[in-house]
Amino acid sequence: MRFLLRRLGFYLLAAWVSLTLNFLIPRLAPGDASSALQARFQGRLEPSALAAMKEVFGYTDAPLWQQYSSYVNNLLHGEFGVSVAYFPAPVTEVIGSALLWTLFLAGASVVISFVLGSLLGILSAWKRGGWLDSIAPPAFIFLGAFPYFWMAMLLLFTFGFVGGWFPVRHAYSDHLTIGWNAEFLLSAVHHAFLPAVSIVIASLGGWLLGMRNTMIGILAEDYITMAQAKGLSPRRVMVHYAARNALLPNITGFGMALGFVLSGSLLTEIVFSYPGQGYLLYQAVKSQDFPLMQGLFLSITAAVLAANWLVDIAYVFLDPRTRR
Amino acid sequence: MDFRSKLPARRVLWRAILLLLSFLTVVGCSRSESAHERGVVVVVPTQSATWIRHFNPFLFSQARWGTVGAIYEPLLIYNSAQGKYVPWLAERYGWSADNLTLTFDLRRNVRWSDGQPFTARDVVFTFELLKKYKALDQNAIWVKLRAVEQRGDFQVLVHFKEPFVPALFFVGESPIVSEHAWKDVKDPITFRDENPIGTGPFTRVKSFKTQVYELGKNPDYWQPGKPKLEAVRVPAFPGNEQTSLAMLRGEIDWAALFIPAIDRIFVDKDPEHHGYQFAKVEGTVMLYPNHLHAPYGDVRVRKAISHAIDRQLIVRIAMQGYTDPAPATGLTDLYAKYKDPSIIEEVGDFNKHDPTRAKALLDEAGLTMGPEGFRTHPDGSPWTVDVNCVAGWSDWIIAGQIIAKNLQAVGINATLHTYDFGAWFQRLQTGDFDLSISWSTTGGPSLYTYYHRQMSTETVRPLGEAAEYNWQRFGSKRADELLAALAKTNDLAEEKHLARELQRVFLENAPALPLFPGPAWGEYVSTRITGFPTQENPYAALAPYKQPGYLLTLIELEPRAKGTH
Repeated sequence: MRFLLRRLGFYLLAAWVSLTLNFLIPRLAPGDASSALQARFQGRLEPSALAAMKEVFGYTDAPLWQQYSSYVNNLLHGEFGVSVAYFPAPVTEVIGSALLWTLFLAGASVVISFVLGSLLGILSAWKRGGWLDSIAPPAFIFLGAFPYFWMAMLLLFTFGFVGGWFPVRHAYSDHLTIGWNAEFLLSAVHHAFLPAVSIVIASLGGWLLGMRNTMIGILAEDYITMAQAKGLSPRRVMVHYAARNALLPNITGFGMALGFVLSGSLLTEIVFSYPGQGYLLYQAVKSQDFPLMQGLFLSITAAVLAANWLVDIAYVFLDPRTRR
Repeated sequence: MDFRSKLPARRVLWRAILLLLSFLTVVGCSRSESAHERGVVVVVPTQSATWIRHFNPFLFSQARWGTVGAIYEPLLIYNSAQGKYVPWLAERYGWSADNLTLTFDLRRNVRWSDGQPFTARDVVFTFELLKKYKALDQNAIWVKLRAVEQRGDFQVLVHFKEPFVPALFFVGESPIVSEHAWKDVKDPITFRDENPIGTGPFTRVKSFKTQVYELGKNPDYWQPGKPKLEAVRVPAFPGNEQTSLAMLRGEIDWAALFIPAIDRIFVDKDPEHHGYQFAKVEGTVMLYPNHLHAPYGDVRVRKAISHAIDRQLIVRIAMQGYTDPAPATGLTDLYAKYKDPSIIEEVGDFNKHDPTRAKALLDEAGLTMGPEGFRTHPDGSPWTVDVNCVAGWSDWIIAGQIIAKNLQAVGINATLHTYDFGAWFQRLQTGDFDLSISWSTTGGPSLYTYYHRQMSTETVRPLGEAAEYNWQRFGSKRADELLAALAKTNDLAEEKHLARELQRVFLENAPALPLFPGPAWGEYVSTRITGFPTQENPYAALAPYKQPGYLLTLIELEPRAKGTH
């Protein structure tokens, strides 16, 4: 428990540092935020209207500490400001429209990729030199080494454009409305399939190889020989003795990957026109939408910290040494 | 799963594959995407990841497509392909003899989509709203207006502080809202108008989702028999590739897209039904020399730089041949009626690619070759030239690279510098640059706005102070006189004469160096929907993002008659 509380304190500190940086970076960037507004209009907005718009957006020349205190105050009240690109929608609403889809697509694919990769890693290490071990690791490393953009495009082109088996864009059929019915859920899965497969193919190799290599090291440990000598079933030895220990480094990586889910799978979302957070971030950067960028960065930071906290909890269960 | 069996891994794998296959058949059998209802036009005017429900016509840059045009209509629409105003909610318009009052006679048969009649009260209310909220008056109409007066139910008088004819465009194209729906809106600046009540042809928001929205037709539209379509559907596409792909699959009927090698990739696939129009009506992209930095204050140097640039090459490589080199006057096709090649011939074409002339002019200005193979200032100090550009704007960057090469060829030590937008724009505005590529703004069909922003002494700001335009910081008393006269006249012959004289001032001084006019992108696929402006019949502009101009096209579209495929 002490361990978890200590970690929690650390995460709170990290959260404060990152939200302060989040405040400072746009203000240190060259050009003021209002020139970004001008950029969006490319001179089509008359100066008098621009000045009035600035007021609406809350651009002020107040001293930095004053801006900072109102920024922190707004954050505590859950106010992230108004998006420039999607004016007058508040940032929270814009992020909200993309958040669930990103969680669904990237979250599911990271979990699938992790589970599948670790499982294959365990199996190929257990039967090392076997047919699975000689095919799976090199094959997936090979696939993972392709430039992601190219591979995703290829999938889209073959199975979506030419084959026509999968939709080439969006998160669900344009003809449906969101709801808990079979047709919509099926459509959502259908739409998420190709993008998810592309993510799994690209990332599976890493999990597989990591798991396999740790496993092989652990299989040489004395306690494995001991367990086998005791006559335990091979499955029990493999899962409870070897895999459980070998999983630790992968779990850390999994926590990181899970945290970065919210930063969205940028390229995936662009290639498959998926309405997620990664693409939103890209668009925010492109159109210099600072309030939206800040909101997105904050949500990503929060997710990474939360995921790490969960990993810490998982460690407590997996590794008795941390329980003290 | 049983790991103790003889062939564990293989069995697991087979089961997994079987499961996957059965899943794919189930999923693959679910409904296909290309279910196109008859009479629905699919438009992709802009690219975006998601849509936010927003139909406030005054925030026209952020409101969803369709807000200005399909839902809220203006009094007049300028047809940029034909070069004339089309009366819309106003049946007629006219200037008083002193050009101080603009009178609009409104149509009498127009109703709002909630059934209430459209009257002069609504027009007056709309302009009063702009007066009250400066942020909504994005074209700063009220700088020139004195009052807007209602006379009877169907006549509106717009009074000006002083004669200012170019305002016709901004007043005429302002979207008109209804008094009864808007009078109780607390804050019109942050109002999103999610259920708009307009006079337009597609006023009903049939469905709105983050990835697609659909506007259904207004059954009581004031133009009899129109619209001929049932609905307008606008899907969200994040990028060019995805949009092009969907366009080639025939899922989009109308788009604004950059397609490389468009004739081969797009038109040749189905020459009968695929077409495009890249009208050269967007602002001319310019190379701005900073007149307050030596030696760019010298007109010979500016003209020499211009003569050194190979615009044909720029247009061919940076713009893929989709536009033409700009004339030295910088006039786009939007100003077709003021174009006059004879004045360019008379004063001299500084846009002509002529390195010999460039060298001679530079020698004449005292910028002679130094010992290191580059030209120096007259006092012998080295002369280095930075060409500023925005990082990531690839067409401009290619143009900048060609310009730097061209300048080096005549002995100028020029290099291209890219900055992030913010940094670049700050330098441009405050005058902290030598040469910079940037846009120029048109602001309607009158030459007034364009040349006012290039040559008026009113727009010159000292170095260090941010200028909204006239970044080159050039002011001409002669141009001021001509502009003042142009603002007061609506006699075409007089306008043409003044335009010619303004072009003379520009040609003599070369305040900015025009590179090429921006194309307004527009493509159509006419397999399901017909009536688009074609190469043979360019009755209106095709670019769907030009609001409210696209309405002239939208209103003419109809479903293809059965069996004429």
